Amino acid sequence: MTGPVGGVLLAGAAVTALIIALLLMVATAHLLRGRRSARDDRRKRELMPLVHAVLDDDPVDGAPLPDVVGAPADLDEIVLELLPQLRGSDRQTLRDLLAERGVVSRAVADLTARKSWRRGRAVALLGSAAGTDHIAAMVELLDDRSLEVRCAAARALGKAGDPAAVGPLLRATHGERALPSGVLGMALLDLGTTALPVLRDSLTGRNQVARGLVAELLGVHGDPSAAPLLEALVRDAGEDLGVRRSAAAALGRIGSPTSTEPLVDALSNSPDPGLQRTSAEALGRIGHPLATIPLLAGLAAEDIAVRAACADALAALGADGRASLEAVATGPGAAAPVARAALDELGPAVRRAEPVGAA
Amino acid sequence: MNELFTDIVLGASWTVLGYTLLLDAVMFTLVLLGARRVAEARHWKGAEGHGEIFASPITPAVSLLIPAHDEEAGILDTLRAALGQRYPALEVVLVDDGSTDRTFELVAERYRLAPINPRRTADLPVDGEILSVHRATTGDPLVVIRKTSVGKKSDALNAALNHARHPLVCMLDADSLLEEDALLRVARPFVEDPANVIAAGGVIRAANGALVDRGTVVEPRLSKKWLVRIQAVEYLRSFLLGRTGWADANALLIISGAFGLFRRDLVVEIGGLDHRSLGEDADLVVSMLAHQQRVGAPHRVVFVPEPVCWTEVPETLGVLGRQRRRWSHGLAQLLWKHRRMIGNPRHGAVGTMALPFFLVFELLGPVVEVLGLASVALAAGLGILDLGVAAVMIGLALAVGTLLSTTAIAVEVLTYRRYRRGRDLVALVVAAVVENIGYRQVHAWFRLRGLVAALARRTPRWTVMPRVGFTTDEQPALAAG
Repeated sequence: MTGPVGGVLLAGAAVTALIIALLLMVATAHLLRGRRSARDDRRKRELMPLVHAVLDDDPVDGAPLPDVVGAPADLDEIVLELLPQLRGSDRQTLRDLLAERGVVSRAVADLTARKSWRRGRAVALLGSAAGTDHIAAMVELLDDRSLEVRCAAARALGKAGDPAAVGPLLRATHGERALPSGVLGMALLDLGTTALPVLRDSLTGRNQVARGLVAELLGVHGDPSAAPLLEALVRDAGEDLGVRRSAAAALGRIGSPTSTEPLVDALSNSPDPGLQRTSAEALGRIGHPLATIPLLAGLAAEDIAVRAACADALAALGADGRASLEAVATGPGAAAPVARAALDELGPAVRRAEPVGAA
Repeated sequence: MNELFTDIVLGASWTVLGYTLLLDAVMFTLVLLGARRVAEARHWKGAEGHGEIFASPITPAVSLLIPAHDEEAGILDTLRAALGQRYPALEVVLVDDGSTDRTFELVAERYRLAPINPRRTADLPVDGEILSVHRATTGDPLVVIRKTSVGKKSDALNAALNHARHPLVCMLDADSLLEEDALLRVARPFVEDPANVIAAGGVIRAANGALVDRGTVVEPRLSKKWLVRIQAVEYLRSFLLGRTGWADANALLIISGAFGLFRRDLVVEIGGLDHRSLGEDADLVVSMLAHQQRVGAPHRVVFVPEPVCWTEVPETLGVLGRQRRRWSHGLAQLLWKHRRMIGNPRHGAVGTMALPFFLVFELLGPVVEVLGLASVALAAGLGILDLGVAAVMIGLALAVGTLLSTTAIAVEVLTYRRYRRGRDLVALVVAAVVENIGYRQVHAWFRLRGLVAALARRTPRWTVMPRVGFTTDEQPALAAG
């Protein structure tokens, strides 16, 4: 027994030492917290006037003041915090200041650091602070071994605002080191309307994930030039259902009346309730009277969510749609309750409810 | 014969010790994984600011589902916190599940509810009768469903799901307060990775003792009751370290029913919440995972250690016992229902790591612990217990237990810093030690009884926890100062 007991005693002593170390760390952190916070606030108060002085100078010939270049490192944090809130020349002035203080060059050096958080932090900093100067290095990080770094690189490319990044971002939708579509979506949206031509082109590309993502983004942009391409996607029965749903939703956001016909076709003939529902919602957004009859037919759909979407869409069609709903609401059948519920949604006044059992 | 008996008792004692050390080793590994994650987050919080998630046009809308049964003590605070979320598009669906107190009246008065025709978006089976559906006329996006209670939270949640209209659903307990950004933070994984993420959960903390003003925790404080303090440590350990570790291993099974976000279409597709289950939250996650694996669809369950939901925890041993028996019973049901997944490599880390862990250490843990205590007592009674050896072994077990809790407290102090008063930190540390003496053993007994109830196939019953409401302060600003 002596052997095991001795080992256990040793382990116990090690565990106790760890507990004591942790407790000391907790006590120190707690005691220092207030002091550190007060110091940070004081430094911020001291350094803010310097930042304002830099911003008030003429951005063309106003080189950073010498005392600002040599100011403490806390200044960098203040500037980085301020940067996303600024635009135009003020933003450029602060970017120049960061470059002058060596922040940008240090971040560039950190892009190949061993620790992933260093690489991630560096690329994020470059995205907001370095403009389009280091796009190639940032694109390389789209293939980083760490997913978080790849995501940071994508977002940084979006913030940097160079449309040349659209291609690499779309390529990152697939492959062994693919990036989550939401991250890429936000990055592509950050690039703004300059990315639209490349996005439209990729709607006909072979990459299915990219097609779905791009369809959604074109809808968010409300790009009317993309409507014909998106309509073709909705019509294409051989296309992936997710892509067709994204395209239908995008057509609703764009709101072109020419899209009514393919959306009506999808609502009436698709076997997929998801596509039917999205098409009904899109028809409601577009608000073309030609959709009234197909939407009325949709009130009898098997899927309850499709019925609800059709009723809401009819309510959005204006007086005609409302009249149709009122006719249905007073009649018998499964369509009546959804029609009554949709009418309830209209206007500020809440209509008198039917007893729930009556449904 | 006597020798044989002695050997059996000693053998049992050593087996229990070995089991405890193995459990501690596994827990410590999880803690290390979690601590590493948390330490990395201190250097760099990731690419995204939450403001950007808020402003993004691709952030999906959320339906917050709140089942409530006799919740008059805190329902208005819960609703204020839910409706006050900083989130671009949300609705709250409150289900008054047969309350016998003034829950509905309070809500009706505060939000000037008016009856409407129900707008159903799904056809999940609901056992209770839907009596009426109401909408707030105060401009708040609030829908209230009144139904008769069948004593099941899952039934109320299914009723809410039938009326939820947004692509994500957040399930929230009616005695819980969300911090202002909680929803935004927990929704972030869905925004970033909509194709893969199917569920996400955040941190739950004990609200008892905290100062609350109009649905906002203005000053987190520890309760003066030791039972609550010990649970506060338990929650820290479980949420800050355990779940972070499981999520990193892609084997997270439990998203707390008190605060969890799910893809609505998927929840509806698997038939909603299982009304036979007492652990409906864990059952939902495992069912969703099993479904996605069956159809070959991608799936990620994410734990976000930041967003905080404050909830009332039991203040008496009786209520705690009922709660823990229910959890243990629910876990047994879950493991039985999904028994084919246990140890099955087709289900990845969930099948090979998480489910076996829950079977061996969570479900059977109390059996081993109670048997171990009994064998030690028996050995002492027979005079065959080497007191020196026993003291060393018990000391090690206590030290390891304390180490796990201390690590969780250290993470709290170094990163999240919700408890700002020194006396609260001291109380947490003391609770971390005291927990091992008495509480842990009683807890094992409660869990054992839950397991026995499951083995005896007793009818699952969802027991209601008496609410005391939240602590308010007339001068919150002064208190915060």
